[in-house]
Amino acid sequence: MSALDHPQTEDILEDFLKRVRPRIRGLFLRYRIPIQDTEDILQQALLALLYHRDSIRDPEAWLVGTLRNKCLLYWRNHRRKLYDSVDATVLDLVAEPVAPDQEDADLRRDLTTAIEQLPERCRSILSLRYRHGYSPAEMSVFLGSSQGSISKMTNRCLAALTRRLVASGLLRSSGEP
Amino acid sequence: MTETHPARPVLERFVLGDLPRDEMRQVSQHLLAGCSECRQITASLWERAAPPPIVEEIVEAEDAAERGACGEAIDRIFRVILAREAEVARERAQGRELFDELMRHPPARQQMMVANSARFRSRMLCEILLEQAHEAGFREPARATELARLGVGIADRLADRLAERSGQEGGEGLQGLRARAWAQLGNALRINSDHDGSDQAFETATELLDPARVAPHEIARVLDFEASLRRDQRRFAEATRLMDRVIAIYRKLGQRGLLGRSLQQKSLICGESGDSEGEIALLRRALELLNPEEEPRAFLSARHNLISALCESGRPREAFALLFHTRPLYLRQGDRLHLLRLRWLEGAVSRGLQRYEQAAVAFREVREAFLELGVDYDAALASLDLAEVYAAQGRTADVRRLANEMLEVFRSRKIHREAMSALNFLQRAASAERAELVLVREVGSFFRKARNQPDLQFTPTS
Repeated sequence: MSALDHPQTEDILEDFLKRVRPRIRGLFLRYRIPIQDTEDILQQALLALLYHRDSIRDPEAWLVGTLRNKCLLYWRNHRRKLYDSVDATVLDLVAEPVAPDQEDADLRRDLTTAIEQLPERCRSILSLRYRHGYSPAEMSVFLGSSQGSISKMTNRCLAALTRRLVASGLLRSSGEP
Repeated sequence: MTETHPARPVLERFVLGDLPRDEMRQVSQHLLAGCSECRQITASLWERAAPPPIVEEIVEAEDAAERGACGEAIDRIFRVILAREAEVARERAQGRELFDELMRHPPARQQMMVANSARFRSRMLCEILLEQAHEAGFREPARATELARLGVGIADRLADRLAERSGQEGGEGLQGLRARAWAQLGNALRINSDHDGSDQAFETATELLDPARVAPHEIARVLDFEASLRRDQRRFAEATRLMDRVIAIYRKLGQRGLLGRSLQQKSLICGESGDSEGEIALLRRALELLNPEEEPRAFLSARHNLISALCESGRPREAFALLFHTRPLYLRQGDRLHLLRLRWLEGAVSRGLQRYEQAAVAFREVREAFLELGVDYDAALASLDLAEVYAAQGRTADVRRLANEMLEVFRSRKIHREAMSALNFLQRAASAERAELVLVREVGSFFRKARNQPDLQFTPTS
């Protein structure tokens, strides 16, 4: 039974916080959360712990698990924003007039090259999206999958394209997604 | 390729997806064009933002300044929380006072007070109402709905007030509270057999389940309640998927007790869908996780279900041995309902061991006690257990007499229409001396399934 399972006084909470501090610090350093966001995440989790302390049996495990989940979500949300931005950028690019200038023509060629280095399934999906302008509903009819699974697959392919764009360059090939 | 390179801070914001649309596009184009210098920077930023899933150990950050700043930020928040602790304790005490005050009024007035008086818009009052609604679900289902409705009223108003003040829809805590309040209402409605109302409440609860704003343990709570509804609706695959998510969350949060309870919940789904081996395996795992000292009721309930499942799957000797070791736990609980459940189980184990006289005595006692307490449905189930014993002994006259009695007694009580038609069918068969063991079992099994599903149709196969 832990400190927080008993009726609390300030010094018991203080002891608990002292005990978990190294794990919390290690976790935030591992996940590289910016300082301002570290404060927000930690404060939210500790407040939830205060409000629910009666129903939480192992507060240390609960706190670490909750923080880890929040850190993962933090990066997932940022990644999501990046994928959406890359998607919007590519859609803008391919939607431009038929006779692009040399620079845009080069970009389109680069995009094609980037997509061609992705796995087969992603190539089909992204090419339907960017070259033929298919909506997810149209893709689901064309590929014979549900709209939900097309959306999931499109997201994974966008993630793969973004990774290639941002992290690994056009030359490295891998088995993703 | 664009001639000028984006500055490092711009690339940092790009990797976080935080740049305005035009700038995002410019940087994307720049990277797409293959600028190796910038790619090197974004690649390192990307790696920083993608830690491996293993955590826990203290890692050495790249520089001491980062480690120091992180430690300082943690200490700052610790100070905030320590200062806040007394305030939360005060809120809790005030919440209890408000609850007592509210409960002194009739239910209709309680709703009005919550709607009209800002004093009752207290987060802690809402938490207490939700706890009480949960407890009432076991004893007074109608009361559980009233309490949960009060909880929903407060949670929604608290969120509205926050939205008015800050223009947000509700902070993390409040959105989670609202989701739980709606789920508690959904659960109360389910217990009252209002599946449509329950469905609607869960629709609202799940709409609120944004993982970015609702804590994982709150998500688990909502999904757990929803799984119970799906189980009652006999949508077993959905119920199982929901419970698997709940189990994964509690496992990640290291909550052994809640994990044990979730496995127990999942075992009910297995049991009702006819997978008795799965049910037994899950109950054994649940019992390893539940601490009998800390959670005696949950532990006893899991043991009870395990003994019952062993009996039903034709393993009465194992059930008998486990019952022997479990009896002290029932006696420790001491209340009449627990003792009745023990006696009922003793009857079932005796029946499994073909000790029919002992079984009949136990079922008769249980039946009379439930009738006296007004727990009609359980009285009907105990009567059917007794009828099964008589049928197994070939005592057709006793089956007929019991069927007549049951029809007489339950006609004037709260037994739903389909269950009554099953009893009618049994009584007619018994009168014609055609109520064989298989039919009695079938009616008993229907009664168990139909307990929370009054719409289930009785179609005898025998």
